Amino acid sequence: MKKVHPAVVGAQPFQLAEHRPVERLFEDAEGRDRLEKSLSRYPEKKGALLPMLAYAQERNGWLSPEAMEEIAEALDLTPAYVRSVATFYTMYAKRPVGRYWIQVCTCISCHVNRGEEVFESFLEHTGTRAGEVSEDGRYTVIEAECLGACGFATVVQVNDRYFENVTPETVPEVLAQLEPGEPEA
Amino acid sequence: MSPKIEISLNGSTVEADASATVLEVALEHDLFVPHLCHHPDLEPAGVCRLCLVEVDGRMVTACNTPVTAGAKIRTDTPTVQQTRLGAVELLLVNHHGGTIDCEEGEACDLNRIARFVGADEARLGRYRPPDRTLPVDGSNPFFTFDPGLCVLCGICVRTCDEIVGVAAIDFVKRGFDTTIGSAPGKQWIDSDCVSCGECVERCPTGSLSFTGFETPEYEVTTTCTYCGCGCGIHLGVSGDRIVSARGQRENPSNEGRLCVKGRFGFTFVNSPERLTTPLIRRNGALEEATWDEALDLVAARFSAARGDAFAAIASAKLTNEENYLIQKFSRAVMGTNNVDHCARLCHSPSVAGLVQSFGSGAMTSSSKDLGDARCIFAIGTNTTAAHPIIGLQIMRSIRAGGRLIVANPREIELARHADLFIQHRAGSDVALLMGMMRVIVEEGLHDPEFIESRCENFEAFQESLAEYDDATVEEKTGVPFAKIAEAARMYAENSPAAILYAMGITQHTHGTDNVLATSNLAMLTGNVGVPSGGVNPLRGQSNVQGACDMGALPNVYPGYQKVELPEVRAKFEQAWGADLDDAPGLTHLEILRGVTAGPIRAIYLVGENPALSEADATHAREAMEKVDFLVVQDIFLTESAEYADVVLPAASFAEKDGTFTNTERRVQRVRKVIPPVGESRSDAWITCEIARRMGASGFEFESAEAVMEEIASLTPSYGGITHDRIDQVGLQWPCPDPSHPGTRYLHAETFPRPGGRGRFVPLEYRPPDEEPDAEYPLVLTTERSLYHYHTATMTRRVPGLETLRSEELVEIHPRDAVELQIASGDRVRVTSRRGEVEAHALVTEASPPGTISMTFHFHESPTNVLTNAAWDPVAKIPETKVCAVRVERA
Amino acid sequence: MGFPHDHDLEIGTILSRHFGDPKARELDTWLTYGGYEGLKQAVEMDPGEITTIVKDSGLRGRGGAGFPTGLKWSFMPQEKSGPHYLCCNADESEPGAFKDREILRWVPHLLIEGCLIAARAIRAEHAYIYVRGEYFPFTSILNDAVVEAYEAGYIGRDILGSGWDCDLTVHIGAGAYIAGEETGLMSSLTGGRAEPKIKPPFPAQSGVFGKPTTVNNVETLAAVPMILINGADWYRQWGTEKSPGTKLWCCSGHLVRPGNYELELGVPLKDVIYDVCGGAPDGKKIKAVIPGGSSTAMLTADELDVPSTYEGLQEAGSSLGTASPIVLNEDTNIVRAMRRIADFYAHESCGQCVQCREGTSWVAKILKRIEDGDGRLSDLDTLYDLCEQLTGRTICVLADSVVFPLRSSLDKFRDEYEALIGGRA
Repeated sequence: MKKVHPAVVGAQPFQLAEHRPVERLFEDAEGRDRLEKSLSRYPEKKGALLPMLAYAQERNGWLSPEAMEEIAEALDLTPAYVRSVATFYTMYAKRPVGRYWIQVCTCISCHVNRGEEVFESFLEHTGTRAGEVSEDGRYTVIEAECLGACGFATVVQVNDRYFENVTPETVPEVLAQLEPGEPEA
Repeated sequence: MSPKIEISLNGSTVEADASATVLEVALEHDLFVPHLCHHPDLEPAGVCRLCLVEVDGRMVTACNTPVTAGAKIRTDTPTVQQTRLGAVELLLVNHHGGTIDCEEGEACDLNRIARFVGADEARLGRYRPPDRTLPVDGSNPFFTFDPGLCVLCGICVRTCDEIVGVAAIDFVKRGFDTTIGSAPGKQWIDSDCVSCGECVERCPTGSLSFTGFETPEYEVTTTCTYCGCGCGIHLGVSGDRIVSARGQRENPSNEGRLCVKGRFGFTFVNSPERLTTPLIRRNGALEEATWDEALDLVAARFSAARGDAFAAIASAKLTNEENYLIQKFSRAVMGTNNVDHCARLCHSPSVAGLVQSFGSGAMTSSSKDLGDARCIFAIGTNTTAAHPIIGLQIMRSIRAGGRLIVANPREIELARHADLFIQHRAGSDVALLMGMMRVIVEEGLHDPEFIESRCENFEAFQESLAEYDDATVEEKTGVPFAKIAEAARMYAENSPAAILYAMGITQHTHGTDNVLATSNLAMLTGNVGVPSGGVNPLRGQSNVQGACDMGALPNVYPGYQKVELPEVRAKFEQAWGADLDDAPGLTHLEILRGVTAGPIRAIYLVGENPALSEADATHAREAMEKVDFLVVQDIFLTESAEYADVVLPAASFAEKDGTFTNTERRVQRVRKVIPPVGESRSDAWITCEIARRMGASGFEFESAEAVMEEIASLTPSYGGITHDRIDQVGLQWPCPDPSHPGTRYLHAETFPRPGGRGRFVPLEYRPPDEEPDAEYPLVLTTERSLYHYHTATMTRRVPGLETLRSEELVEIHPRDAVELQIASGDRVRVTSRRGEVEAHALVTEASPPGTISMTFHFHESPTNVLTNAAWDPVAKIPETKVCAVRVERA
Repeated sequence: MGFPHDHDLEIGTILSRHFGDPKARELDTWLTYGGYEGLKQAVEMDPGEITTIVKDSGLRGRGGAGFPTGLKWSFMPQEKSGPHYLCCNADESEPGAFKDREILRWVPHLLIEGCLIAARAIRAEHAYIYVRGEYFPFTSILNDAVVEAYEAGYIGRDILGSGWDCDLTVHIGAGAYIAGEETGLMSSLTGGRAEPKIKPPFPAQSGVFGKPTTVNNVETLAAVPMILINGADWYRQWGTEKSPGTKLWCCSGHLVRPGNYELELGVPLKDVIYDVCGGAPDGKKIKAVIPGGSSTAMLTADELDVPSTYEGLQEAGSSLGTASPIVLNEDTNIVRAMRRIADFYAHESCGQCVQCREGTSWVAKILKRIEDGDGRLSDLDTLYDLCEQLTGRTICVLADSVVFPLRSSLDKFRDEYEALIGGRA
């Protein structure tokens, strides 16, 4: 079990290539530890909602209806409320995504630096259509709004990593860095 | 009343309430300010941006901007008008696909507003909206959600959260893609939605719309026939059918709100299964007969059973006037006090206990005032299921920062909202409550001044607390004592604190002790005689309070005037012109036992269904089978009616005039909405007709109103009640004279006991009659479903309610389920010492380990075949809440 | 200093001195750089004194609105009747802005120190740093620094032996621009949809969890330690009377040297674009600059000779915003670029207010059809109409944000729109 300081327990990377799926989030020691530590940082249980949604995705790779229900129960919220919050934010995967979730920024600064071409190049090299999981389960490629690294356009986020100054031509290099035998921590 | 201030409204100086919002002031001055997301019942949201007006030159939303003295408000500037028009256009383009007219017509606020702001269809075209078809959620039997008509005002979401406290729906996604949805991966019906329809009622556009309702020709205001909340309801009529229902906003009991049964449950009235003609048993079978045949037969047979051979079981579903007539008939015509009704099975300990301690056996507070309590202690009440509208007051109290303590063997819905949830062992209430009181006294949290000045017998009571030490209380209740102590402090330190209870307290062999424990607790902390405090037994049926008030009880005349008291008896003998029996009659269970082991030969059973509702129901069925002459008067051919010699078809609540008295003692009008179905007749007419045919006088009433006049003349607490006075809004008894305004809460100054003091009663813990053993290792407790009512003769004839809950479920804890190798959906057999029942299992942590629970709504699985008829020695209520059973796969 | 490129303008560096130096992330090294000296002073000071110094320094909020920081702190109740909270807004999401991430990833301890000093000034016992979810790598750096600071006694109980307690929690978002709006951030931090709320009540009265709260930007807070150590006058040696101090510029788009530069406020915008960033690459001309992040009005190449102050850019009809110029070269299709910006706002609208939810979406749709050759001249009138509808009518300024670039592009580049429409009525 990874030791996490309570101050940063709600700020752990939650989009990862490796998952440790669980059926029930808070029935193992790690889940309980994350929940208790998160709860300790907010005066109301509800404060721990985003951290717990993130944790569910960290464990399972996506946010299933069952996970939302379980989080609702743990935090004394209703499932509809949890769904409402979960669906407000784009980074929570409400459906399973590829092992590598590739988000290509096509917002203004990246747009003028060939962002769309980079996006197309990713689709081509992964053989997927936008938002789909590739057949081998490796990739999901989507267009993203501003990723906050505009001086380094085009910016691509793959799970918890940033790739900067990506061009359509360097897309294969990016993909190669994801592959093989170098699982992301 | 808040002070008045002057403001300028479009150039005119007007007076306004200092606490009002700009929108409220404008509307009050007939100045329409368009708005879609505002609703007077809800906190302002300010998101539709249609109510933007200029205040001192600044654009603000009128709905959430308070007026200030001297403010210059303009609702008519070009900017304001252009803002409205622009926003309306944006809504129309997306909401109606670019047209102004919609099929909802005037019912659609957007439609009305579009006309008001002068929206022009031609201008909408410039957006060139694409076709957008969104899937309709039609999963709920009573309403549909069409996102294509939704303007995302959020009124439904806020209603479900702020008013109902369920929060079954919320916004989903964001921005242009936002919609309304329920729990993840579920349709509306599979979510936490309680189908109350409050959201539908408030939807401004018809995006949420009722499926079964028709537009009525006119509406009649009456009182709901279901639980004791006693909600005012407008029933819509088309031809001779009821086609719609909505809550009566002016009614303080519900302020316009209704639950799923109240709003949608009226269709049983139009059911094809209604009894429409009298039936007489001939050659073993019930055959249709004329009224003359049936009534003459009844009159003849009853004439032969005068005195103690006769018993009447009246009904908490009948009006006050009808209950009055039935007890009068029993006493004055039949010459016996053998008259009782189902209150015996639900709240007789409330009457017995509260009369002992307070001198009066009714809810001390008003429903509405409960919402202002600083603490609510809900013990033995599944309020959101059994009394949903009072449940809303609990939600209101919580929302205002009040504390909620829930004590229940089952993890009921309310537990989720509680500051403290105590899951005590079924039947351990006395130990729990006395343990709390010991903490309160030991920690000095009691109210010595109140005890000293208003109560008696405190010392003896205090001594009796000693035996409730931590270890004993923990052992009896199964709850860590620290938690009980915390509850004690929470209750004692947050005043006014109101105790709410229902049958979890009363249906025990020590039900009266349980009730006394609650009244001890309230007196101990000075929580009696204050609004929003007190002891509040939540009465189950629409007129169970009234049926008791009317003396449909074997020991008292109307107004709890004791039959043994010579001066009382003389008063009634004189009024009724008859000699009256001076001994109390038999109770409900005693009547049925009296068939086999006593004098009972004829039973007049009105609006009751002991075949399903009586503890140890097999015994009840045997009695009905065996009795010489059984008359059943009801609206349907109930399971009990099948044993009848004569069945008399009664009119439903919607087909007659009269009054109901709800749980908060409010006497309210019941009105004839449609004519009686078929040849059915009101219970009042039938009883009077039997009496008349038996040659009795005193039953020649022209109207229910005339009966109420007689009631008022003989019943001090009803002395000031007339149909005229309660034409619009009911009155709460005591209301002793025609100028009395009614009584909002009881015992303000004094208790109606000799000496005027409330009495503390020392209590001894007694276990339930039957405890689990090796052969019957589990405890069965009974409960109610939100979707059904009593033996479900009415609700199961409402198709949508049957959809929402169609069968009995044996709720069992996962631990027990694993041991018994039972999974949800498995057919199981539940066996007690008295019988066995089969139903499907539902594995749930709502049931504590060792305890299963079942309702008693379903005739296919008659739960009361299992329950224990051992009774409370004082109130003679059977212990329906606890019996020992075993469960196995069927 | 700048990152990844340096510049040769002579100014003191407050924020960016250690950009590019990975050692600066480590506490041991950071202490040798003078780390936590400001905090040592602060714990000995009265909250009011700290606020006064920051007030005197003229430091203005760096999140875009430029509200005076000391004044904001002074709105917090002087007498406590319950907890107070500080929220550091690290939900950097304005297209064009990427300054907070550099602070997070190079000088996390500077931010932590700034948070603690501010927390002391506003009598808060808990500071939350709300970082946008996407910033995983930079959040991890911050996380390590926070744990280190906790373990060294700079955060937590009895800070530096002063008897003062203050916690700090890192909280991450999950993809919502509107969580960067002050009240949206508070909604999100409390476990809700990041929906902005109507003011009043103001955060200083009722903010996070209903308690008095101050929300400050990362860059604002990072400036505080040095101000406390060196004094208000020291800070005022840079910048102008109304816009004192230095500012981190985020330069992106068509530039030879895009990146982060810490510059004195008041430097002419054209110098930033041409001298510091080298102008557009490949000898192209510049067509337009969006000077303060995507929610500011476009300036044409001829309009760049303005002082880069809050007031200077306002006079030029735009706004300093987050000082994040996005440069568009002569080949840029303005309609398409504008559509990209509109897409962003439509995507990020929370959906509460009718005008914003519906209007931003229509702006994007109409621009798209013009871009695709399906536009009509009347679409331009509709866009102008929408500019009216989206201005000053909603709870927050997200809707207004799309209007600034949109209206300026319609005014200044109408010919490009008309060329795509080709005369269709």
